[in-house]
Amino acid sequence: MASHSRLSGLVLGAVASLALSGVAQQARVGAPAPEFKATDSQGKTEALGQFHGKYVVLEWHNQGCPYTRKHYVSGNMQALQKEWTAKGVAWFTVISSAPGQQGYVTPAQENDYVAKMHAAPTAVLLDTFGTVGRLYNAKTTPEMFVIDPSGKLIYSGAIDDRPTPDPDDVRGANNYVSDALTEAMAGQPVATPYTRPYGCSVKYPD
Amino acid sequence: MRLSWLHLALVSLVAVAVPAAAVSRMASDEPKNPHAAADATHLHVELLVPESSLVKGAKPNPAGLYFKLEPGWHIYWKNAGDSGEPPHVKWTFPEGISTSPLQFPAPKRLPLGPLMDFGYEDEVVFPFSFEVGRTAKSGPADLHAKVDWLVCREVCIPGKAELDLIRNVSDRPTNPILSGSDATLIKRFAAQIPKAPPAGFKAVFQSAGSGLRLAVTTGQRETDSEFFPTDQNVLDNPSPQNLTTTSKGLILDLKKDANLTANPSQLRGVLELSGGRAFDLVALPGVVPGAAAASIATTAATASAPASSAPIAAQSLNPQSGEPIASRAPVSSLSELFKASGLAFLGGLLLNLMPCVFPVLFIKGLALVRSSNEERHVLRAHGFIYAAGILVSFWALVAALLALRAAGSHLGWGYQFQSPIFLALMASLLFFLGLSLAGQFEIGLTLTSAGGSLAAKPGYAGSFFTGVLAVVVATPCTAPLMGAAIGYALQQSPVVTFAVFTALALGLAAPYVALTLQPAWTKFLPRPGVWMDLLKQATAIPIFATVIWLAWVLAQAYGATILAALLACLLLVAIAGWFLGRWPATRWATAVAGVILLGVIAVSVFTPAKLAATVPVSTATAAQGAWEPWTAEAVSRYQSQGRPVFVDFTASWCLSCQVNERVALSRPEVQKAFAEANVALLRADWTQHDDAIGNALAALGRSGVPAYALYLPGEKSPRLLPEVLTPGIVTEALGNLPRTATQSAVATSNLK
Repeated sequence: MASHSRLSGLVLGAVASLALSGVAQQARVGAPAPEFKATDSQGKTEALGQFHGKYVVLEWHNQGCPYTRKHYVSGNMQALQKEWTAKGVAWFTVISSAPGQQGYVTPAQENDYVAKMHAAPTAVLLDTFGTVGRLYNAKTTPEMFVIDPSGKLIYSGAIDDRPTPDPDDVRGANNYVSDALTEAMAGQPVATPYTRPYGCSVKYPD
Repeated sequence: MRLSWLHLALVSLVAVAVPAAAVSRMASDEPKNPHAAADATHLHVELLVPESSLVKGAKPNPAGLYFKLEPGWHIYWKNAGDSGEPPHVKWTFPEGISTSPLQFPAPKRLPLGPLMDFGYEDEVVFPFSFEVGRTAKSGPADLHAKVDWLVCREVCIPGKAELDLIRNVSDRPTNPILSGSDATLIKRFAAQIPKAPPAGFKAVFQSAGSGLRLAVTTGQRETDSEFFPTDQNVLDNPSPQNLTTTSKGLILDLKKDANLTANPSQLRGVLELSGGRAFDLVALPGVVPGAAAASIATTAATASAPASSAPIAAQSLNPQSGEPIASRAPVSSLSELFKASGLAFLGGLLLNLMPCVFPVLFIKGLALVRSSNEERHVLRAHGFIYAAGILVSFWALVAALLALRAAGSHLGWGYQFQSPIFLALMASLLFFLGLSLAGQFEIGLTLTSAGGSLAAKPGYAGSFFTGVLAVVVATPCTAPLMGAAIGYALQQSPVVTFAVFTALALGLAAPYVALTLQPAWTKFLPRPGVWMDLLKQATAIPIFATVIWLAWVLAQAYGATILAALLACLLLVAIAGWFLGRWPATRWATAVAGVILLGVIAVSVFTPAKLAATVPVSTATAAQGAWEPWTAEAVSRYQSQGRPVFVDFTASWCLSCQVNERVALSRPEVQKAFAEANVALLRADWTQHDDAIGNALAALGRSGVPAYALYLPGEKSPRLLPEVLTPGIVTEALGNLPRTATQSAVATSNLK
């Protein structure tokens, strides 16, 4: 019995190691977006799978980040949220700041912020442990992801092509998220599916 | 008390030293145009410009943009890495004056959690030069610079300043003079500007799987190096860059950006070498020795592959590096395909030894006994047809898996046991066969004659469906390496997946085929006789045991109401069997039995949707010990506390899982070892379909249970334990953990 389990252990190890290093399920443009579950600021559990059949936008957020503020002070982000949720897109604002890190908010604080800013996301996900952030390898705020109705990741990267914290730069910028959604909804491939995200680093737990 | 003295001493030292340094710099400078410097949040920014006149002509006037940062704060290189932005300057000049772009000294790697930025701490000068053309007006000139930057520690603060200078533009061909301290500063950082590589320098790179291997010939052994890519989105910035020293240079193993779709046509960046040497590098595609092996090393390193959990296996594969061989990229070489297929074949062989294939082994044995007085060629044909049955079922399975996977479902081996319909039908079928074997009625010896028509030709069809049954029954065992092999295969192209599954199937069929091919072995089989009937009846025992197990799984997963429905199905099966046995070979009795069996199928298919209750699985399996239900959050929470985490991926339909839990995980010595190492125990119960668990398994490279992951503090990726556990394997894996380490980790995290 012992030798049997050793033998099987050996073969198992061989194949296991073969398979293991082969997979590191990470968000990749063109591949299925990783499934996640997270609690929103209303205490509700949201799972990506529930939104199968819809376009989904993920917006990494940090209300103290000057680059995020640029898009909220100018009203740009709220306008995008309203425009696209009206077209049936599920828009999730994701906060991956860990407790004790800059940008961490309690559900109540976030709800106040949403009300004050007249933000209109479908829900705000409080990713306190950075789980969703790590799954998508989110690096900055605001970093944006667009998922198509089949669950495929079709855009990952910056919100637009002006990597500055200056609200004046919103006007005239080329918005990659709107482009991706417009193209995908028209049945066209996304012309720019991947850009370098700009902004503040996501404040993951230490 | 002593501590506070020390503290006070340090504070006063810093308090004295810092202004002193600042003052010394200020004092040594001539009074300058005050607008050429600005103090902003967390930094001081200053233009270093010759104090004498700017000189017209071809000779550039050296200058620099100087940043002095508060401790812990940094600004960025021209490619800032995963976050951040480099500083920019916008000049306004009188006509005829221009500047060269800012030059960036070689940066430092600045890790930030899971991210990696490139930049500068403490202080930095970005050298540049003024060019004053002949057309420039002589006399005072207004130089206006709008500087913006992003300064970060954990948080980032964008800043901007407007810096004004007035300098005399002169025709006299004198050398522009910088103040002494400015000149020293600029010189120091100018020395760190990457240089054009000297003649004889050669750089090539080769793409290999998820890695890029960069080989640089410098003419000497290089023991220290870092590479900073100029272009964004080409490399995965945080990945460690493994250095191999060669006799004339070095080889660096880099990892590609996960979203990189096409291989770059060139790799541009800055190569820093020991002694502060830094070169601008443009590497072209070429052949780098050992690139294939390197891709394995980088992939394995990032996945922190289970080299330690399967040391024997890893060594047997690659004794040199001790790293397991695999590649994320689709299998490119035939040899790799053969290797995978070979291992899959071994896995298939092992399946024969798994406890849940036992009933089928019995049946196969019976069938062999029955055939032993037939002609050899018939035996052989039976063997091949049995193999064909296995092959076809595997192919059907892999086709279904691929189709479902394409449809976006993340399914794994054993997933069919999550379906109550499948469970009920399986239990009913096995119960029916068990009754027949026990002697209630005769449908021939071949199991799959349930359909009646198949029973009519018990020979080849029987062999074929015995093969099919072997596959179906083997499924839940996930024999060692089954899950891993499938996890591997499903990552590959359909062709490779089919090859691997075919090899698995052949492995499963091999022993029986060998027996039929080698008639000498059948000699050892006993002659037919009365004992056969005894054996046949005894075979019913493991079959009934399997029915009990299936019923238990169903009740575990979907509650008692559906169990009642299943038992009703079994009763119907027994009644059908009674008709078949009491009035054998009569058409009407067979018809009645058929109708009843159809009823069984209807009940199995339609009741689960109505009766299935979602039983909170945690109560079912997590009752014993300190097991907590698994969530990804729980894992990261315990990790952030510095505790090791052990995750048991299990399901009640997984027999191997139950065995492992009983013989290893719940043993007192193992529980004691867990407690001593302060391991957080989490149980991921996959009895019912759960995407989160499915994804977590996929992330580990498994497509089914059992799987055991051990997260150790300080290691990014978990170690995997084998699918067959012994107390020794678990305690050994925990043995690497110094018991005090966890406590000190907790202690330091409390101090923070």
